[in-house]
Formats: sequence, C-alpha cells, structure tokens
Amino acid sequence: MYIYKTGIAQIDGVSGGIEAGSNILMLAPAMSYAEQLAYAIIKPVPGEYSLVLSTNERAAEVVDFFKSAGCDKRFIGVIDAITKSSTPSISDTPRLMFVSSPTDLTGIGIKFSNMIESIFEGTFADGETGLFPPPIRFCVNSISTLLMYRKLEVMYQFLHILTAKQKKIEGLAIYLLNNESFDDKTLSLIKQLMTGVIEVKVEGNANYFRITGIRGTKADWQKFTVTKGQVTIVP
Amino acid sequence: MISTGMTGIDDMLGGGIPKGSKVLYSMEPGVNGQLFMISTIYEALTKDLSCLIILPHTTVDAFLHDAANMHGSILQTTGKKIAFIDMIDRERIQRSATTRDTAENEWRARINKLCKENQTEVIFGYFDVMYEEFGLERGFNLLESCPSDKTPTIIIEHLNFEGNRLLLQFIEKLSFDLVISIRATFGLLPHFNFFTLVHTSWAPLQKRSVPFIISNGRIVPYIPKIVVMGPPESGKSTFVAGASERVCSIDKKGLSGDTTTVAMDFGWMHWKDFDITLYGTPGQPRFDLILPMLLKNAMGAVIVIDVTKPDSLARAKHLISLISERRMPLVIAANKNDLPNRMNEVEIRTALALNKNTPVFFISAKRNEDVRFVLESLVDFITQFSY
Repeated sequence: MYIYKTGIAQIDGVSGGIEAGSNILMLAPAMSYAEQLAYAIIKPVPGEYSLVLSTNERAAEVVDFFKSAGCDKRFIGVIDAITKSSTPSISDTPRLMFVSSPTDLTGIGIKFSNMIESIFEGTFADGETGLFPPPIRFCVNSISTLLMYRKLEVMYQFLHILTAKQKKIEGLAIYLLNNESFDDKTLSLIKQLMTGVIEVKVEGNANYFRITGIRGTKADWQKFTVTKGQVTIVP
Repeated sequence: MISTGMTGIDDMLGGGIPKGSKVLYSMEPGVNGQLFMISTIYEALTKDLSCLIILPHTTVDAFLHDAANMHGSILQTTGKKIAFIDMIDRERIQRSATTRDTAENEWRARINKLCKENQTEVIFGYFDVMYEEFGLERGFNLLESCPSDKTPTIIIEHLNFEGNRLLLQFIEKLSFDLVISIRATFGLLPHFNFFTLVHTSWAPLQKRSVPFIISNGRIVPYIPKIVVMGPPESGKSTFVAGASERVCSIDKKGLSGDTTTVAMDFGWMHWKDFDITLYGTPGQPRFDLILPMLLKNAMGAVIVIDVTKPDSLARAKHLISLISERRMPLVIAANKNDLPNRMNEVEIRTALALNKNTPVFFISAKRNEDVRFVLESLVDFITQFSY
C-alpha cells in the first residue's frame, strides 16, 4: 500500500507516513496556522497530485501557496467555490474549476469527479507520474464554511460519499473544521467519518498540534511553525 | 408533449413529457448529469414556452454561463418568457424572514407573483436547498402553488443522497409522473454514467437503465461495447460490417480460401440517438486467450452461428459459457438462414442448451436490416437490464 510522506518527522519517522485511503480531520480554531499546516501536509512530492476544495480562498491564492512551497503547479488542482459569485463568466480549466457557491454540492461533487477522472486518464498534467493508482492528496478548506451554507445532516451525507471515494482511490485527505464554532454533536458526527484527527491550538504566540488515530504516532502536543510549506517542530 | 431535449429519451417516453407533468432528474453525487436539466430548459425556451427557473444555489449570470459551457450555445433569454429566482433572492429571503414559516410564505409569494405575471407553463427548480429548508412535501408544495390558468409542468433536479427510498417518496407521496435517476457505476473510478427511467405515469415502461456520454453539448445514450462472438466462419465479420457505419477488420485467408479474423473486427454505429461500439472476436480456439479481455466491460453479446453447420455448435456452446459467467444480455444470431439444410430453432436451442429467455433470430448477415434487427433487440434487452 502506498504511504504518503507528510514532511513531519513525528509521523514519517514512526510509521513512514500516512497510509493510502486515510481521511484526517483537522480541528483548529481561527488564526491557528491550521490551513498552512494542512496545505503543507497535502503538498505533493514528485509523482503525486494535490487537489484543494477551497471555500475560503481564491484558486489563484491556493496555487500561489503551493508554488511558494516549491511545488510544480501542473500537479495542483483547485475547486474554487468563491470566485464565480463575483466573476460569473470565469471558465473551468483542467486544473482550476469553479462552482458558484459552497451551497452547490452538486457542482462540487462533479468537479471533484472530473478532476479525479482526468488524473486517472492521464490528461490532468502535461507530464504524468506513471504511478497507478495515482497518489492524490486532497484538502477540504473548510467544512466550517460548507456548514454555514448547508445543514449538518446534508454535509454528513456529502462527506460520507467524499470520504468513501477518497478511500477507494487510495488518496490522503485532510478536512479542516473550526472546533470553536461548532458543538460537540457536530464534531463527533464528522469524526465518525475519519480515520484520524489532528488537533491544532494556539497558546501565547505559539501554535501546537497533536495527532490521534494515525498508527504509531504519539498524542503529545507539538509546537510548530510553517514556512514556505515546510513544517518545523519547535523543541 | 414537452421534449426533454434528448431525442433518444423522448423516443423511450413516447415523444416527450406530457404537459402538466411532474418530472424529477435525480442526481447521484459526483455524476456529471447536469446537462439533462439544461437540455430540457433549452428545449422549452426554443419552443417559446413561458419558464420560471429557480436557482437557489447560484446566480443567474453564473447559471447562464455554465449552461452555455455545458450545452455549447448561449441560452437565449432575450425576447423569451423567462423569469428567475436565484441565490441572491434566496439570501434576501433568508435575511428578511425570521422563521421557517415566514421564509416559506416569502418563497410562495415570489413564485406566485412571477407565475401570474408570466403565465408560466414550465417551472424548472433546483430542489436541493428547498428540500433541505422546508422538507419534501412543503418544499415541493411551493412549486405546485403556481396560480397559472393551466397546471404548469414542473421539472426539478435534485442531488439525491438517499437513494431509492427518496425516489419512492417522490413517486408515492408526490405523485411524480417521470423519475429519471442519473448515476454511475464506480470501481476505482466511475466506469460509466447511466440514467435509469425509474417511473413513468403515462406509459407502461419497464424500468430501464441506459449508459450515456456527453458529446458536443448533448446527452448521447451509449453502449460502449457489444461483443460479437461465434465459431470460425459463422459470419461475424459480415455481421459487424453490416451493422456499422465505420468498420475495421484484421483478417487473413483461411484454409477454406475464405478470410478469417485473426485479431478482431471493430465497428461503430449510431442508431436512434445511441452510440454503439461493436467488437467482433476471432472464432478460432487458438485466440481464446484474448476473449476474456475482449469481454471485459462488454454490455451485451451476440453469438453468431452458422445454421448449416451443426458440428460448429459445440464451439458456440463453449463461447456461451464464457458469456454466462459474466452475466450480460445475450442474443443468438442464427446466420445463413437463406441457405439450404439449415437447423430449426428447437435443434439449435437443444444443442446450445439455451434457456427460454435467450432469443434466437434467424438472419442472413448479408442483409443489413436483419443485422440491425438483432442489434435493436439486444439494445432493448440491455436497456432493461438492471445494473
């Protein structure tokens, strides 16, 4: 089974990385660098692809992050649920696709399927990686925003399908959720769909994460910073 | 009748959708089937029907742009009787309404006003959000309350997370006249998209499923692979050639002086708005190694036999066993029926141990109409097959 390297020694050093087919929930308060941490984990290594469903940032900003982290943008795809509401005439490209709002779960589902299909068919990037099934990292940024537009029951059903597909294509997915904005029932319902959880907190001026449910990792809080897509654990 | 905008589907429905009907396009998450609703909208506007389009998930401009991209032509709204309720209207209602009841009243008032002003004949609704906010019956009741002189046709698209249970509710609780479910078979990837005519109130149709592709802004019902098999020199290549608009064969001269297929025949035909691809396999046992590969993902099979050669039926029986293992629709084309000394149907059924559901058609593969009839029957068989 394919193992996804995370660039975080506490994960890679113990278990080699995260197993294919994993769905990880990242619980984090606002302004905790969780988004940077999530993007750093789903940053593709050569031979891999990364897809982002962005409900908070424009596609161009997402791509910029990955470019600044040294990634080849041909292997980055973004489903942007922001831009189309202000620029209705914007058109899809193979790697940048647009839905009119986070309400549009039909559109999001179709664009996700289209991108996965083009990766499998070898038409996504100019140069293909040759691995099969192609390793795909995926980030939903964020469930919090989607939950502002759609009810929890609907989002649960949607995520149930998304996580199952992710498992089937042997990808690695991270789902961001602001744990300060939602009650325990919401958090525990969403957790049911996941294979692991990364919690993020802010204390003083420092950011911390801890991991549960990923084989071999310790559940201790780790102080971290993220610079240009690189996670550094601060002793 | 109102056309769906998809010829093949109109044919299956007996010409289209009767006016005043309630129609559901049920979408399985992730399946690219938005063009079903879009095609029907384009068709209604082309026929100058007065339309109300309800888009709680998007803006009018974004919708028109997406529709044009999907359909390949701009949706002409100028000079047409068309009204919209979109995401911006929904947000206004959400801001002003303090309770669910007041929101519901506000929705109803807007729909009523636009229907009355435009004498709406067809309401197109993207239903997910209304379902989520008001529930199935109350949500749909908003669309039904349109006060036009004539009962408008209501056509909705719905993202269905609840599967057949929800479809039954549309049929039984809301008395929908037509339910089309748009789905995909998933392996590692969607293998193919298909639609299922789940229910029609005006025609005694059997539930049927048909794969489709999207080509040049059109939904095209699609049979990606029909395999044509049979003993050597039974007439498979003639059969494929007779059916196809484009054909390619890889043959060499056999011992008898006739040509024999040494790789495969490949044909493509467009019939009744269906795209169909035919794969003719080599008949000789030495090629059996490649048969499982040629049968992979096939949606139906034709076994061509030579009715003047009883001794070739043992080979045909072996090929039938390969098909039976894969559970797919099968028909028998009893070829060379124009020649003397032919077997009758009982002899063929006995020799091949056929069950009574497998049809046997007596044909001459040299007559294109015979070949087309066999394929027409097989396509009908395939479309009634539940995946």
